[in-house]
Amino acid sequence: MSAPHRIALCLALAGAGAALAGGKAVQETNDYYRRPLEQLLEVETQAKAAVGSRGGARDALDAEVPIDIITSAQLQTTGQPDLQRALAVLVPGFNAPRPSITDGTDHAPPFTLRGLSPDQVLVLVNGKRLHQSALLHNNGTVGRGSSGVDLATLPLRAIERVEVLRDGAAAQYGSDAIAGIINIILKGYGQRSQATVTYGRTGEGDGITRQGTLFHTLPLAGDGFVNLTAEWRDRGATNRAGPDASDGGRINTHFGDADTQDGLFALNAELPRGDATLYLHGLYDRRRSSAGAFYRTAGDARNIAAIYPDGFLPRIEPKILDFSATAGVRGVLDDGARWDISYTHGHNDYHFYVNNSLNTSLGLATPTSFDSGATRYTQQILNADFSKKIGRHTVAGGYEFRQEHYRIIKGDAASYMLGSADNFAYGAQGFPGFSPENAVSASRQAHSLYGDLKYSATERLMLDAAARAEHYSDFGSALNGKLALRYRATEDLLFRSSVSTGFRAPSLSQSHFSYTGTYRNSNDAAAQFWGNFAVDHPVARALGATDLKPEKSRHLTLGMVFQPSSQLTASADVFVTDIHDRILPTGYISAYSLSSLSPQAAAVLAQNNIDGAVYFTNAIGTRTRGLDLRLDYSSELDKGARLKLVAAYQRSRTRITELNQAPEVLGVNMTDLILDPFTRVLIEGSQPADAIKLWSRYSHGSYDLVLNLNRFGKFHSVSAYDRVTFSAKWTLDAELCLRLAKDVTLALGGVNLFDVRPDKWGQTDDSLVGAGKVIQYSQYAPFGYNGASYYLRLGVNF
Amino acid sequence: MVLWVLGLLCCVQAPWAWAGDEERKLEAVFIGRFASYIEWPAKPRDRFVITLLDDNPFGSLLDDLYRDKRIHNKPIELRYATRLEQVGETDALFITLASSAARAAAIDHAQRNGILTISEAKGFAESGGIIQLDFIEQKARIKINHGAALKSGLRIGAPLLTIATVLRGDKP
Repeated sequence: MSAPHRIALCLALAGAGAALAGGKAVQETNDYYRRPLEQLLEVETQAKAAVGSRGGARDALDAEVPIDIITSAQLQTTGQPDLQRALAVLVPGFNAPRPSITDGTDHAPPFTLRGLSPDQVLVLVNGKRLHQSALLHNNGTVGRGSSGVDLATLPLRAIERVEVLRDGAAAQYGSDAIAGIINIILKGYGQRSQATVTYGRTGEGDGITRQGTLFHTLPLAGDGFVNLTAEWRDRGATNRAGPDASDGGRINTHFGDADTQDGLFALNAELPRGDATLYLHGLYDRRRSSAGAFYRTAGDARNIAAIYPDGFLPRIEPKILDFSATAGVRGVLDDGARWDISYTHGHNDYHFYVNNSLNTSLGLATPTSFDSGATRYTQQILNADFSKKIGRHTVAGGYEFRQEHYRIIKGDAASYMLGSADNFAYGAQGFPGFSPENAVSASRQAHSLYGDLKYSATERLMLDAAARAEHYSDFGSALNGKLALRYRATEDLLFRSSVSTGFRAPSLSQSHFSYTGTYRNSNDAAAQFWGNFAVDHPVARALGATDLKPEKSRHLTLGMVFQPSSQLTASADVFVTDIHDRILPTGYISAYSLSSLSPQAAAVLAQNNIDGAVYFTNAIGTRTRGLDLRLDYSSELDKGARLKLVAAYQRSRTRITELNQAPEVLGVNMTDLILDPFTRVLIEGSQPADAIKLWSRYSHGSYDLVLNLNRFGKFHSVSAYDRVTFSAKWTLDAELCLRLAKDVTLALGGVNLFDVRPDKWGQTDDSLVGAGKVIQYSQYAPFGYNGASYYLRLGVNF
Repeated sequence: MVLWVLGLLCCVQAPWAWAGDEERKLEAVFIGRFASYIEWPAKPRDRFVITLLDDNPFGSLLDDLYRDKRIHNKPIELRYATRLEQVGETDALFITLASSAARAAAIDHAQRNGILTISEAKGFAESGGIIQLDFIEQKARIKINHGAALKSGLRIGAPLLTIATVLRGDKP
C-alpha cells in the first residue's frame, strides 16, 4: 500500500472510530436517562484531579499527564494505620520500607516514588506545599542523605482523596517535583461526621494498634464548612530480631516497628462570601516514639557493668512535633478570572531523647537518660495565583515567596561529651547528642514567578506550556519549562505526552547538617573528631567541599488512555527521567579508608585531629526509565451489588549514568569517594524493580468485601561488598465490612493474610546481620517484616 | 509523517465530548429528569424550552440527548445564551455563570418568570436557586430550595424531594 493510501486509511478509520464512539457516548447518556433517579445518584463518576493544572480540577483521565486518584474508600480499607503505609499498598512505585535500628529514621521512615529519593517528591495539601521533616536520614536506609515529608502526620480519615501525578512538574510547582507530586485533598463540603475505633495486632501477638478517630463536619452558610479531625493512634512495637550469639543466644535487640503514639488533628474550612472564599486548613501531629539501638552486652566495652550488669539496649525516644497551617482567600472576578492568595506555615521539630543508656566516658557519674538535641525545620510561603479562561484556552500564573529555616539544637552536655573515664565511647550510647559545634541556624529565601498556558488548538488537541523562574538566596537561579500535549484521537482514545525540565534545590539539611563526635585512643595525643561536616565548615572546605548546586532533571512521558466504556479504563505510560548532580554524602574520608587519599588531604585531617569526615556533594547523574499500566473496571451486578477493580503495574529502573569530578584536593576519583558497592546498590537496586497492585471491592447491600493483592518486586542489598538479591513477594490484604445498621459498620480485616515475609539474609560474615543472627531481614524490605496482622474497626456516622 | 497524520487527524471535526465525562452525562440527564418531576403554571407553549446560560460545557451532548425526548408531553427545544438578556421565554435555565452577582440576577429573573433554575455553583440553592447539583466523592447529590420553587410558582414532586437535601428556610 502506498503512503497516501495508508494515510487515507488512517483518516477513514479515525473518522469511523470517532463517529462510533460519539454514538456510544449518547447511547450511555440515553441509558442513564432511562434509569430511576435513585440509581443515578449511585453512579460513580470519574475522579477529578486538581494537581498539574492551575485552571481547576478536571477529569483525571482526561489530563495531559498521568494522574492516579486514590479515593478515601481505598485509603480506609487497607487496614494500615497511616497514610504512608496505605499508599504503599495502593500506589505502584510508591515505596515505603520500614527500617529499624536506624536512629531517627525508625520513627519517621522515608517513602519514595519511582525508585528515586524521598526528597524528589513534592507533597501538597489542598494544592499547597507541605513542609519536609527536619530529620535527615543518615543511616544506611533507602533515602540515605535526604529529608522527606512525613506522611504519617496526617489523619487518614481527614482525607478525601490523594492525587498522584506521575510526571516531573517542577516547571509548575518548583523544587522537588521530580519523581512526581502527591496532592492530598482534605475532606471538604458535603461530608458526614464519623467516629471510628480500631484495634489490631500482628499474628505474633505484638504490634498492638489502638486507633480512635473523630471526624466532625459543621456546615456553614453558602455551602461553607468547618471539618475537624482528631485522632489518637497508638501503634505498638513489633520485634523480629533474632538471637544474639554473643549474649548466650537470647533475643536482646529490637528490630521491627517502633512503639509510636501520635496525637493528630486536622482542620479544613471554607467560608464563602459572595465571589470570594476564605479558606483555612491545618495539620498537627505530636508523636512520641521509642525504638532500640544495638544491644550493648554485659561485657561490651561501652557498658558499665555496675549500671547494667546484663548489658543494655539504648532506647532512642524522640518527641516529634509537626504542624502546618494555610490561610487564604480565593475568588472569581466578573470576567471569570480566578485568583488565590495564601500564606502557609509549616514546622517540624524532631527532638532526640535517649533513655536506658549511658555515657561510658563519664563513668559511674553518667546519667542514663539524655536530651540529644534536635533538628528543626520551618517553612513559610506566600503565594498569589490567577487563572483565566479565554475561550477554550486557559492562562494562569503566579508568584511565590518561600522562606526556610533549618536549625540544629545542641543536646545536653552529657549527651555528646567525651569524659575522662573512658576515652573511646563518648556521648549517649545509641544516639550521641548534637554538640555545640554542630548547632546551626540557617535560612534562605526563594522568589518564584511562573506562568502556564493551556492552548486548545482544536477540540482534540490541547497543548500545555509552563515555565517557572526562581531565585534562591543560596544557590542562585533556576529556570524550568514544560510542554505537554494531549490528543483525543477518538472519543475513547487519548494520547498524551510531556517533556519538561526540573530541579531540586539542595535542602538546608544537606547543606548545613553537622553531626560530629570525639574519641581518643590511648595513643592519640588529642581527642579525635569524626562525622558529618556541613559543606561550609572549614574542614569540609579544606577537603574540597563546595556550596551545593541544585539537582537538575529532564523528563519525558508518553502515554495513552483507552476507555471503551464508562465501566472500563486502561492506560499505559512510559517515562524517562534524567537527573544530574544528584546530591549524596561522601564516603568516609580518612587516610585508612581511602588508600589513595592525597597527602594534602591527609594533612588536613591530621592538623584538625580528625579521624575521618563526610560531607554532601553533587556527585552523580542517573537515568530512570519505566512503564506504568493501569486498569479500572466497575460494574453494577444483580440485586444492587457492585464490583470495582483497580489494577496497576509499574516497572522502573535507575542506573547511574554520570560521575562528577571528585574534589581535586582529595586525590581520589568519585567512584572511590562515593560509589562503594553499598551506595551503588542503594541507588540502583534497593527499591523494588516492579510492583503490581490489584485492589477490588465487592459491595452488597449489607456488606463490602475488599481484597488487595500486592506484588512487591525484587530488590537488592549488599553484604560484604557483594550484591544480594531478595526475591519478589505477593501479599494479600482483605477486609469484610458489615453494615450493622444504617450508620454503623463493623470491619474485620487482615493485612498480609498469608503471613508472607521478605527473604532473609543468607549466611554472612557479619556478626549481627545474617541468617540466624540478630538482623535477619533487609532494611530495604518494601512491606516490612511483621508478617500477618488482623484488625477490627467499628464506625459510626452521624 | 506521524506529525502530518496527527495534524490531519486534528482537522477531523466530529461533534463529540470525551466519553469518560460521567459528570457531564449525568448533568445532562438530570436537567430533563428533574423537569419531569416539576409542575409549571400552565404556559401556552407547544415546546419545552431548556436554556443554558453562559458557557456550554456539554458540547453537543444535550442536543443529541434531547433530540427525541419529550417533557410533559412536549418536544424539547434547547437554547444557548451567553447573557441574561438573551434568555427569552424558557421553562428551565441551567446556569454556569461564574459570578455570584450574575447568578443572583439570573435567579431573580427566573423567579419572576416561573423558570426552573439549575446550577452546580456552590451556594446556589441557598441564594435562591431551585436545584443545586453537587458531585461529592464521585457521586451526584441534589439540593433543592423548596421555598424558591414555590416562590417561582413551581411544584416539585415528592419523588424528587425524597432523594434530595431540601432547604425549607435559609439555613444550610
